Amino acid sequence: MNRLGDIIIREWKRIVALPVFYIVLLIVPSILFFFYALIYQKQDAKELPFAIWDEDNSAISRQLIYLLEQGETLKITEHVNNEADLKRWIQNGEIMGAIHFPVNMQNDIYSKRVANVTLYTNAASLVPAKLIYKAVAEVVIMGSAGVTLQKLQKEGIPSSSAMAIANPVNLISYQLYNADYNYQKYLVPGLITVGIQMIIIISCMLALNYEWKTNSMDELYQLSNGSASLVILGKTIAHLVVAWFNFVLIAFVIFPYFGIGVAAATGKFFILYSLLTLACIGVGMFISSLFKDVMLAGDTALFYTSPAFVFSGFTFPRWAMPWYDQYYATIMPYTSFLDAFFKAYYMNLPLHYSENEIGKLVLFCIVLFPTAIILFSKQFKTASQVSERE
Amino acid sequence: MVPKDHSLLLTLLIAPLLYAFFYGSIYINKEEENVKLGLVDDDNTSLSRLLAQNINNSPVVDIVQFANLGDAKEQLYQGNCQGYLYIPAKTENNLLSLKQANVVMAVNAARFLPSSDLLLNVQQICLTVGAGVRLQYFEKSKGLTTEIAMQQVMPINLDYRPLFNERTSYGAFLLPGLLALILQQTLLIGLSESTAAERQHSTIASWTKFGISNAIWGKGLFYLLLYGAYSFFFLNINFSLLNLPMRGNGWELALLMFIFILTLIPLAQVIGLCFKSQLICLQVMAFSTYPIFLITGYVWPFESLPLLVQGISNLLPTTPFLKVYVNIVQGGGALQDNLTPLLHLIVLFAFYSLLCFWSVRKLHGQSN
Repeated sequence: MNRLGDIIIREWKRIVALPVFYIVLLIVPSILFFFYALIYQKQDAKELPFAIWDEDNSAISRQLIYLLEQGETLKITEHVNNEADLKRWIQNGEIMGAIHFPVNMQNDIYSKRVANVTLYTNAASLVPAKLIYKAVAEVVIMGSAGVTLQKLQKEGIPSSSAMAIANPVNLISYQLYNADYNYQKYLVPGLITVGIQMIIIISCMLALNYEWKTNSMDELYQLSNGSASLVILGKTIAHLVVAWFNFVLIAFVIFPYFGIGVAAATGKFFILYSLLTLACIGVGMFISSLFKDVMLAGDTALFYTSPAFVFSGFTFPRWAMPWYDQYYATIMPYTSFLDAFFKAYYMNLPLHYSENEIGKLVLFCIVLFPTAIILFSKQFKTASQVSERE
Repeated sequence: MVPKDHSLLLTLLIAPLLYAFFYGSIYINKEEENVKLGLVDDDNTSLSRLLAQNINNSPVVDIVQFANLGDAKEQLYQGNCQGYLYIPAKTENNLLSLKQANVVMAVNAARFLPSSDLLLNVQQICLTVGAGVRLQYFEKSKGLTTEIAMQQVMPINLDYRPLFNERTSYGAFLLPGLLALILQQTLLIGLSESTAAERQHSTIASWTKFGISNAIWGKGLFYLLLYGAYSFFFLNINFSLLNLPMRGNGWELALLMFIFILTLIPLAQVIGLCFKSQLICLQVMAFSTYPIFLITGYVWPFESLPLLVQGISNLLPTTPFLKVYVNIVQGGGALQDNLTPLLHLIVLFAFYSLLCFWSVRKLHGQSN
């Protein structure tokens, strides 16, 4: 037990003394996580520059423009007179979208002919394009239903029946778990947790092999009495505790400061976070015991962990990816963590809904730690031979 | 130096190509299809079946029928469907008696893309079915012909024209930027590592023995040629494999890529010179990719970033570059339409070149 405690304390001392550890484990998280939250501080995109091309200049077009101005999404910054100007301004990024009211629109409506209102967006910028479409579609649908309603009421149809004809199938929609599509609440926890995976793997990939760099492998051998499993257990506990400090930073500093996160699910987050940490430490230890060369270990860790965010299905669902990418996604702990995180944290469901994903994270530990111990034993034998020669 | 250093070899010669194909393949289908939507149909009439059938016909939505709301919610919790639609009993009856029919839809907005796609598609289908109901009403109750009734069904029609990404697909939006980011990041990581290695191995004096400018641009020339070749490869082979349009002039794009790579070279060397260890440089640079991409205005509107972040973003060559690049590649624009961001990029080139010169000169002085 004393040996284990000594290894843990020794590892903590290395973490605070060696830049390869303290920069990644202590400095990067505080800067990176704060920065992620800061990027999305405005929470959603508002007042997107928008142009009006009003060839009708009628009471109806003015009413529709008024309704467009009332929402927070659009900011009418320009008035244009032709399609060429409109397209050029969108292309140059001066505006994100524009609406065209054609000549005689009001007359067409009163003459019971369909009036075509055209919406242009710059869909090369997908987020603003979707937001603009939503804002404009709401107004146009409302305007169209209003026109029908007025016509029917003028014909003497009672308002309730007129409403049923104007909008027969009324879709009542509920956006669960993020009702207002707040980007900060959606993206920041995901970016931070994927950052945690990178931080742990990129630091733990040096947990064992860096002992050669610092000429301390022999000392570690003596301290552990040649037990590779004791070394890996001790270093794992040390790194797990440091990861818990980062948990405190995330759950009790960053999230409350920026008003994000689901406070009621913090306990479940802690359990999943600890499992992710253990799985990532397992990956790091495996790489560290596989490659004696620290730069090669670094490149391997970087190549393995950097695609985690896009492959996890956080922004683009995994089922829409080709099958080989879906398989690749499963070999990263973050993918299983994310599926569980959605359920237990974002949706605040009981942990039994995440049994499958928890099982996969445990499987990472079951496979990687013994493999790392076997591989590291070989490195350790070299250390013992060096020690005996001396 | 590169052939002897396997880390640089991996970062500069293997990673760009591997990442480009690897990341690119994720979005090869461009958009998501068959998002699972639970359906609880308590009405079970021809109208509710018509609604369900229309929704299921959409390529985006895949309907999964459940007997009751409890089952549908459970499947949502399990992650097996992304939302559910409830059609209450008497929906058709209500419509026939000229009462509005309410259908209820709940989506898991914790996942943005599937939930917003579901909402958009189901909303459009409800409007279409509603228009069909109005058409029948006008035909039957007012005795209008189909042609005249059609004109009254939707007095104002919204004609949506998304420019430069006609299908508003996620893949077509993200891939051009992603490929440019792969080029940038592998160059920044590789060259900064190489420069950090000069400090680590105390070779600054031998590196700068033919003069500081020669040292910077001698090293930089290799990267300029290598990444010029990669750019050509990405814009031709990868764009073609991923069916990405290139609407602008190829020569103008080549000039833009040249200025961009030229700006990245001194920037990477400035970053590398901040580190005494190649390993620490690699570790720190590993965390730069996502923050850089998120603040360039590519995935999130630049104006919606806090002022401090906008300031940082303006110091990155990626920000003006992506603005011009997207305009040329996707919008079919020309360099002369983008003089402000182009000037911004040139100013950054001058700034980082001077900063790099100053940093190398300082270290050169120290090493002597």
